[in-house]
Parts: sequence; C-alpha cells; structure tokens
Amino acid sequence: MFNLFLAVSPEIFIINATSILLIHGVVFSTSKKYDYPPLVSNVGWLGLLSVLITLLLLAAGAPLLTIAHLFWNNLFRRDNFTYFCQILLLLSTAGTISMCFDSSEQERFDAFEFIVLIPLPTRSMLFMISAHDSIAMYLAIEPQSLCFYVIAASKRKSEFSTEAGSKYLILGAFSSGILLFGCSMIYGSTGATHFDQLAKILTGYEITGARSSGLFMGILSIAVGFLFKITAVPFHMWAPDIYEGSPTPVTAFLSIAPKISISANILRVSIYGSYGATLQQIFFFCSIASMILGALAAMAQTKVKRPLAHSSIGHVGYICTGFSCGTIEGIQSLLIGIFIYALMTIDAFAIVSALRQTRVKYIADLGALAKTNPISAITFSITMFSYAGIPPLAGFCSKFYLFFAALGCGAYFLAPVGVVTSVIGRFYYIRLAKRMFFDTPRTWILYEPMDRNKSLLLAMTSSFITSSFLYPSPLFSVTHQMALSSYL
Amino acid sequence: MDPIKYFTFSMILSILGIRGILLNRRNIPIMSMPIESMLLAVNSNFLVFSVSSDDMMGQSFASLVPTVAAAESAIGLAIIVMTFRVRGTIAVEFINSIQG
Repeated sequence: MFNLFLAVSPEIFIINATSILLIHGVVFSTSKKYDYPPLVSNVGWLGLLSVLITLLLLAAGAPLLTIAHLFWNNLFRRDNFTYFCQILLLLSTAGTISMCFDSSEQERFDAFEFIVLIPLPTRSMLFMISAHDSIAMYLAIEPQSLCFYVIAASKRKSEFSTEAGSKYLILGAFSSGILLFGCSMIYGSTGATHFDQLAKILTGYEITGARSSGLFMGILSIAVGFLFKITAVPFHMWAPDIYEGSPTPVTAFLSIAPKISISANILRVSIYGSYGATLQQIFFFCSIASMILGALAAMAQTKVKRPLAHSSIGHVGYICTGFSCGTIEGIQSLLIGIFIYALMTIDAFAIVSALRQTRVKYIADLGALAKTNPISAITFSITMFSYAGIPPLAGFCSKFYLFFAALGCGAYFLAPVGVVTSVIGRFYYIRLAKRMFFDTPRTWILYEPMDRNKSLLLAMTSSFITSSFLYPSPLFSVTHQMALSSYL
Repeated sequence: MDPIKYFTFSMILSILGIRGILLNRRNIPIMSMPIESMLLAVNSNFLVFSVSSDDMMGQSFASLVPTVAAAESAIGLAIIVMTFRVRGTIAVEFINSIQG
C-alpha cells in the first residue's frame, strides 16, 4: 500500500501545494488587516517553487520505479518513458510560470488564481503521461482541458480573451466527446479498457480477420479526438483564434504542455495499445495536411501571434510524422521533435511576451528591432531560424531525424512533402527576421528591457538551440531509452 | 436483450449532439446542451456494453463520466456568462472579433 503512494508522490505533492496556494491566496488577499494585497507575484513564485519541487521529487523518486508494481495492473504505469516525459513537462511548466510574472505586472492582471490554475492542469498532465487505461486517460484529459478553458478566458474584461475561452470550450468539449465515444466503442468491441489487454487483443487484428467495424470506428474516433486536442490539420478549426485571443503566457502554456502530454498519450494508445495500419494511415494523412497548412497559412498573416500558432500547427504535422512510422526510430525522432519543439516554443513566446509589454500586436511593429534591441532581435532570429530548420540549429536536427525515420520505415511520400513544406515555410520565418533587421517602421517603438526571469529563460533555451548541434548525444540517448521502454 | 438496439439509440443521440454543436445558428448558451447530450449518450453506451458483456469496468466508467460532464458544463456556463457580460449579446454571429 505504501508503494502506491510513494510512487505518486510528485502528483500528491503538487495537488497539496496547489490547494495550499489557493487557500493562502484567498485568505490573505481578502484580509482587511493586510489591506487586501494582490498576491500575484507572491503566489507566482510559490507556484514556481512547487513545480520545481515536484520535479525534484520526480527525479529523486526514480529508484521507486522498480517497486511501483501495484500500478501495473491498474490504471497507471511508470517507466523511463513517463519519467523523462514528466521531467520535460515540469520544466516547460516552470518556464511558462516564469514568463507570467512580468506580464501580470505590466497588464495589471491582479488575479492570483491564474497562477493557481497552472500547477493544476500540470497535475492532470502528469497523470495523463502515465495513464495506461482508457478510464485513466479520459479522467486525466478532462481536468486538464477544463483548467485550460478557464485560463484562456482569464482576462475577464477583454473581448478577445472571453471569445478565445468560449471557442476553446466548445472545441475541447466536442473533442472529449468524440474521444469518449471511441473509448466506448473499443470497450464495447473488446471488453477491455486497459492498454495491456488491448495490446494483446488488438495484435494484428487487421490481418487475422478479426476486424469488426465497431473496433475500427472506436480507434478512428479516439484518433480524431486526440488530433482535435493536438490541433492537427483537418481538425484545427479554431486553434489560431484561441492562440491569438488568449493572454500570451496562456498561449505559451497552451502550445507546449498539452502537446507534450497528449503526444505521450497518443504514443501509448497508437504504438502500444493498438499497433496497426489504421492509425498509421490517419496520422500519415494528418501530418501531410498539417505540414502543408502550417507552411502556407502563415504567409498571409500580419499579426505576431497567429504565425506562431500556424507554425505550431506545422510542427505538430512534423511530429505526427513520427507517429505514422511505427518503428523505434520513429518514436525516438518524435520525442526529439517534441523536446526541441518545447524549447523553441518557450523561447519564441518569451520574446513575444517581452515585446508585448508595449502593445506590440502586428508584425510591422517589430521593425528596426535590431537597432533598438539588438540582442533580442538576434535571439528572435535564432528562434525563427530554428523553427525554419536552418542547419546548425536544433530545429534542423529534429526535422532531419524525423524525415530520416520516415524514410527508414518506408513512408516515401512523407519525407519529400515534409522537406518541400519546410522550405516553403521558411519564407515567413525569414520575413520576420527581415522585418526586424532591414525594415524601418513609420513610427519607431521603444521596447522596455525584459525582466530577469525571461532573460534567464531565453539564455538557457537559445544556448541549447545553438549548441545542441555540437553535442546532441545526451538528447539522443535519453530519447532512445524512452522509446525502448515504451515498447517493453 | 439485443445490444444493437440500445447501441443504435445512443449512437443517434451522439450524432444529434454533434449536429447540434456544428450547426448551431441561434445563440451560444444552447451549445452546452449538445455537448451534454454527446457525453450522456456515450455514458449510456458504456452501460449497454457493460451489461451485455457482463463486465464491471463499463459501469465504473459510467459513474465517473457524469462528474466530469457536470464540471465541464459548470465551467462552460461561467465562460458563457462572462462572454455575455463583455459583449452584451449572445448571438453566434458576433463571435468573430478575431479575424482570419
């Protein structure tokens, strides 16, 4: 019995920390004795600290993985794959919390509940990564989505933010309904919800002739529900609107953390649970469509956040390439892609939120950034070039390995499409760099220097982006270990 | 006790829910009803399959799904109320202030 609780001690800690933070915030911010202080930065730093302590608990609890036997047949499963995915998730969450401080201060955003609503979906995402049963998966996806609906609509007086929140609500509830429908069809056809049981039942079901239309519909619906949540292309309905309307730290959180955890979940379902050609075809089609749309749709944009949303859709397309080849190189390249995508996105949104302090919304406002703020212009250019896939940067490394894995498993149509869309998509990334370096705007905008948290975050992520080409082997060996352990 | 008939019933409910979300032309608060209909149709699907295959997991899932659905509808209503306070209208045509 003890083993059960010791093995989930990171989640227990973060749940308790969130509750205590909430109570602390409510008690002190409504107390007349202290003159009703707005506790945003206080709760913010404590929230960041609790996420980092959770990371410490997770890292220190690694030997406990071997004694968490009680989990294996029930709802969760802990192995090296979940360990490293959870570490990545917690690092990304810590990064996005540290982006929030200055923007809350600048925009007079006095609600400390916003900070409390960041560790709360993190707890659900930690459960989601280790979920090994349809019930656990659904029950972890839902609270995560609910918290995101709330923080997307958190600026109550802004029309954009409430519209983004209501659109996200409808999109998320619809996709959860479809996901749950898929779970029920699979349960109805096989009588099993646990992924171990499903792996045994669905082994080669297309070949042995045990195919039933209920099973096919169930797997299709689960894939569609997941693709809605990861905003892949035929199902990306309102994702750019949601990304643009939400407040910037929320957009950052939204484009990094659910992608990590839902990708981990899709990996469990599609590679472990139901390995077969059905899902491979769906992901094949979606990755091609996402890559094409991500490259083409961002060209006509004039605002700053929408091209980032479209480029994240394009990147999801590249990541789905890893799903559609069912080999170990495929999973490894997928995990490398997710890791590098998370770092690049933290980088990009940190810069965008630093620039937004003086109400930058349009790309044209970025003009002559190189003359007023040369270092942030250089960092932004490095991030954009890494998104584009220019060689010595980390983005090229991830795309190269993804296409390499796609070619290695025989998806000979996917890799050329990926390369061509990558080249086409470079246009608007380089256009951003051109605007910064070579354009003079009609009115010059002076940007305030960014605060210490964001500059530290930018230093860490951009140094990783530039230097990972020289020494990529820790990343490669970690992801190889993750890929292998997700097969066992 | 043919499970196909019951499954057809919940499938029809679910498809009506999908239709309600996608083809909504009236106002926003109405959108939360088809969402609930989808979730509850899937719930009855779970119960039907649990009874017909004599397995307990479906019933345990079916007792957990409505809690999540209730939380979701509460949050949905809160967001819709906030949207109304900012805008002053609940018509669907006006949800396009984010262009493109």
